[in-house]
Amino acid sequence: MTTTQENRWIGVSAPRREDAPLIRGRGRYIADIEPAGTVHMAILRSPYAHARINGIDTAAAEAMDGVHCVLTAADLEGIGDFPTIWRLPGQKECTTPAFAPGKARYVGEPVAAVVADSRYLAEDALDLLDVDYEILDHVVDVEAALADGAPVINEDMGDNTIIEYTFPGINALGVAGDVDGAFEEADEIISGRFKVGRYSGVALETRGHVAEWDDLRQTLTLHSGSQVASLLRTELAAALGIPETSVRILTPNIGGAFGNQWDRYPEDILVSLASMKLCRPVKWIEDRREALQATVHGREQLQEWQLAANSDGTVLGLKGRVLSDQGAHLHSVGIGPAWVTGAAAVNQYKIANYHCDVVGVATNKTPNSTFRGFGGPEAMFGIERMMDKTARRLGIDPAELRRRNMIQADEFPYFSPGGAVYDSGNYPAALEKALEAVEYDKVREEQQSLRDQGVYRGIGISSYIHVSGFGPSAILGILDYYTGGYEGSTVKIDPHGRATLYTGMIPMGQGTETTLAQVAADHLEIDIANVRVVWGDTDQTPYTGFGSAGSRSNVAAVAVIKAIEEIKAKAVRIGAGLLEADPDDVAYADGRISVKGAEEMRSLSLADVAQQAYWAHKLPEGDQPTLEATYVYDPANFTTACGTHVAVVDVDIDTGKIEWVKYVVVDDAGTIINPLLVEGQIHGALSNGLGGAMLEEFVYDEETGQLLSSTLMDYLVPSFTDLPDFEIHHLVTPSPHTEGGFKGMGEAGCFPAAGALANAVTDALSHLGVEADQTPVTPSRLWSLIDQAGG
Amino acid sequence: MKPAVFDYSAPESIGEALDLLAEHGSGAKVLAGGQSLVPMLNFRLARPAHLIDVNGVGSLSYISANGSLRIGAMTRLTAVGESGAVAGAHPVIPAAVAEIGHRAIRNRGTIGGSVAHNDPAAELPAVLMALDAEVTARSTDGERVIGMQDLIEDRLFDTTLGDTELLTEIRIPAAAAGSTFGFREFARRHGDFALAGVAAVITTDGSTITHAALGAFGGTHATRLPTAEAALVGAETGDAAFAAAGAGAAADFPATSDVHGTAEYRSHLINVLTVRALNDASGQAGGGNG
Repeated sequence: MTTTQENRWIGVSAPRREDAPLIRGRGRYIADIEPAGTVHMAILRSPYAHARINGIDTAAAEAMDGVHCVLTAADLEGIGDFPTIWRLPGQKECTTPAFAPGKARYVGEPVAAVVADSRYLAEDALDLLDVDYEILDHVVDVEAALADGAPVINEDMGDNTIIEYTFPGINALGVAGDVDGAFEEADEIISGRFKVGRYSGVALETRGHVAEWDDLRQTLTLHSGSQVASLLRTELAAALGIPETSVRILTPNIGGAFGNQWDRYPEDILVSLASMKLCRPVKWIEDRREALQATVHGREQLQEWQLAANSDGTVLGLKGRVLSDQGAHLHSVGIGPAWVTGAAAVNQYKIANYHCDVVGVATNKTPNSTFRGFGGPEAMFGIERMMDKTARRLGIDPAELRRRNMIQADEFPYFSPGGAVYDSGNYPAALEKALEAVEYDKVREEQQSLRDQGVYRGIGISSYIHVSGFGPSAILGILDYYTGGYEGSTVKIDPHGRATLYTGMIPMGQGTETTLAQVAADHLEIDIANVRVVWGDTDQTPYTGFGSAGSRSNVAAVAVIKAIEEIKAKAVRIGAGLLEADPDDVAYADGRISVKGAEEMRSLSLADVAQQAYWAHKLPEGDQPTLEATYVYDPANFTTACGTHVAVVDVDIDTGKIEWVKYVVVDDAGTIINPLLVEGQIHGALSNGLGGAMLEEFVYDEETGQLLSSTLMDYLVPSFTDLPDFEIHHLVTPSPHTEGGFKGMGEAGCFPAAGALANAVTDALSHLGVEADQTPVTPSRLWSLIDQAGG
Repeated sequence: MKPAVFDYSAPESIGEALDLLAEHGSGAKVLAGGQSLVPMLNFRLARPAHLIDVNGVGSLSYISANGSLRIGAMTRLTAVGESGAVAGAHPVIPAAVAEIGHRAIRNRGTIGGSVAHNDPAAELPAVLMALDAEVTARSTDGERVIGMQDLIEDRLFDTTLGDTELLTEIRIPAAAAGSTFGFREFARRHGDFALAGVAAVITTDGSTITHAALGAFGGTHATRLPTAEAALVGAETGDAAFAAAGAGAAADFPATSDVHGTAEYRSHLINVLTVRALNDASGQAGGGNG
């Protein structure tokens, strides 16, 4: 055998192995699962934003034919809440209960549940529940919630301030610099106030569970769409007061998770409790109205920033205040997203003097928690708008202003005052590549001549960092984040030399099965068809620490690589014995175990060695039979994906309509495992980001506290007709911290999107001085700004 | 999101349907294409005791162009939009139908269902008002003909149809010779209900406008725009008359605020869209979104 480049799979656009069954209707989702004897749960949700529950009369519902049980808060004795796992210093204690605790705090909070023969009957029975509500004053705006005399949503907190956290923080690594000095010294101080709209993942498949309690075996099997089954198993067992060894979580195909499925929810407890009570399978499928009301929301912040700059464009300092609208209570990750906003806000720029206060505020709205981007897109929106405002004030081109302030390629690792350590990147190169791709100078020239013809064209630049690869467990510990950040992988070579890989990661659309198979095949140097990936069963797969934040490639893949290194070493030891050679003279290459320099003559296939490993007739001393290894990888550091997007739009100043002209993406996610899937991820995340920039918004009525965007006719998800063609270019700066150089990129597309759009719109209307500082930039909002500006 | 319990009948003739309506009256709801009623049932916003599904009544589906245009109430929107007879008689109709939802919706949705449901953001009630259409309503007591204006004026999600009446036919008088149209609507995404929209049909004797009929949708209810029409009739076609009509449209339009836009914005939109639709009409061009 000679060395070839066969069976190298990293960097190959392998088609998704997930696709064939999904496209041909053989996907299996929660709704497809219905064991014999299944009964169905429906949930009564608060119709009020804030109301004390003085009593619930369940008699009529319980008496209805076909109803098996009714659950209310009275049934929760001995049942725990789900904890908030990110508990920053000074954060008031807060948990997620299964039912509204004595009072409902947002429209959609669970109040009672009915289990019946069918979902139809269960919903009929909900109509028969008589709840004695005492309606309380509500508040759905952060500033109003902080005002004196505001209704207090969680009485035990004293007021609606959940936490005030200051960056650089006591437990973060950042250094504040001399913020006051910078602001005194600066030629100009630029201010901005930004409203980042509330939106969320709104997955095609809503949440759902089927719980099967086996009273004889004392086991609970939960079929669930959770994207972090290990953590759900741990927390669910604790909440239900049963041993974790009794709980098995099975995950079928998931029709979208987007971080929302990372959280633990009341229904996880309720469906399990109902099954334990009835000793029957209980199924709950969230309907769309519930999904919009009761699956966590994301993003919503009110940001105030001040930036100090010299007239040459040097940014000296940044200070800000971020009010995070947390909704009624902290959910699984607390104020985590807003914390990330504070940590990431300096973005790609050398801003040595930094101060930011992040305030978590309770309002009578759905909890704001985990959602793709997790505070990063919010941060990028604020800082990228501030950079454009600064450029305009100083009369410097926005591209040039960024150029003058970017961290340079030779300045890594870079210790940001927000506390993050940026591992690698080449920010100026990404910017220049994006400008070149969009033909920046030409578009700027055209902009002038078009304006004379009444066409208002704008160009918006938006650069980003995406701290991914959550994460080093020790650092999570420093951040008071009560879970680990590792991923485990078990790889087993069968007696025929084929590999089965067990991962705790839950594939939720990214092509995890394909990319992990690629990594395994590449490192074993075998055909990808000979790698099977097993996931979705906590009884078989390794415990996963995190399961989110782009940890797939840069954490899970490394666990695969490390496990395979152990397998290869063992194969070499076994092979050396069979080849009667010194192990030091034997190497693993091309999927074979061969004596170095004699590959043609003295060589064994992986199958030959695997067969011997299973027969175990003559294993090297100390080696156990079979050929398998488990590795749990805890990353040494985060990885930082980065890039620059440029949007070009035309604005119809008569209607406020935004027309796409061009959208250029330059991203740097380090080593790319599968370019096809990376492109798919960029398309998806960018659509998600632009959705929130233009269309998607959970709107609450100030008067009533009702969620107005409660159907998909009111909450607008973008489709391809609403989006530009994406022109995608890559830079590759491998991460020095990860085996393989991978960085997380599944979320990156949504980071700069809103900034790019808003900067482009603002640029198009620069003659009017219109500033797009609120997302989504709807036609109605934009026209109103144009109208006020006299356009 | 499951409907409350209801009884279900699927008559195969108009007579059977009318008998069922006579029997169940206000407790019954007629199911046509189901594009609005079925979601309302699932949200439990509509809770009829009895559902009369007229999809099996084949005699309610037809298009006949013989002088006036007659369209059976159960004619699918796709059939209306693709009909040469409809396009020949009133090209504004296919222009409007093309903007209704998405194809899957038009394949099931019916012209009679759209009119009887009378969603204030629906295209067809406003277009049919501009075309001076009438509908026939039948019950076991007989048949009556109702002008669109009288059927839906100032109402939303409701009409003047009686509880036992079935809307059976839409009748549209022949267009005046040489009339032209413009159709414009503004929606946030393709296929969404419009924030505002207008159908304009005008006739000129060369340069002077002799007849103008404008129907608007997207406000609190479908409506004609009398102030805009008055500004046009007798005026020369051109920017001045169209601007006056736009301002008139804004004055007439019953704008309202919701999550998609303010009433002020919608009033402004109807002004812009009216001017654009009139420019389309005077240029003999078609419509479009925005």
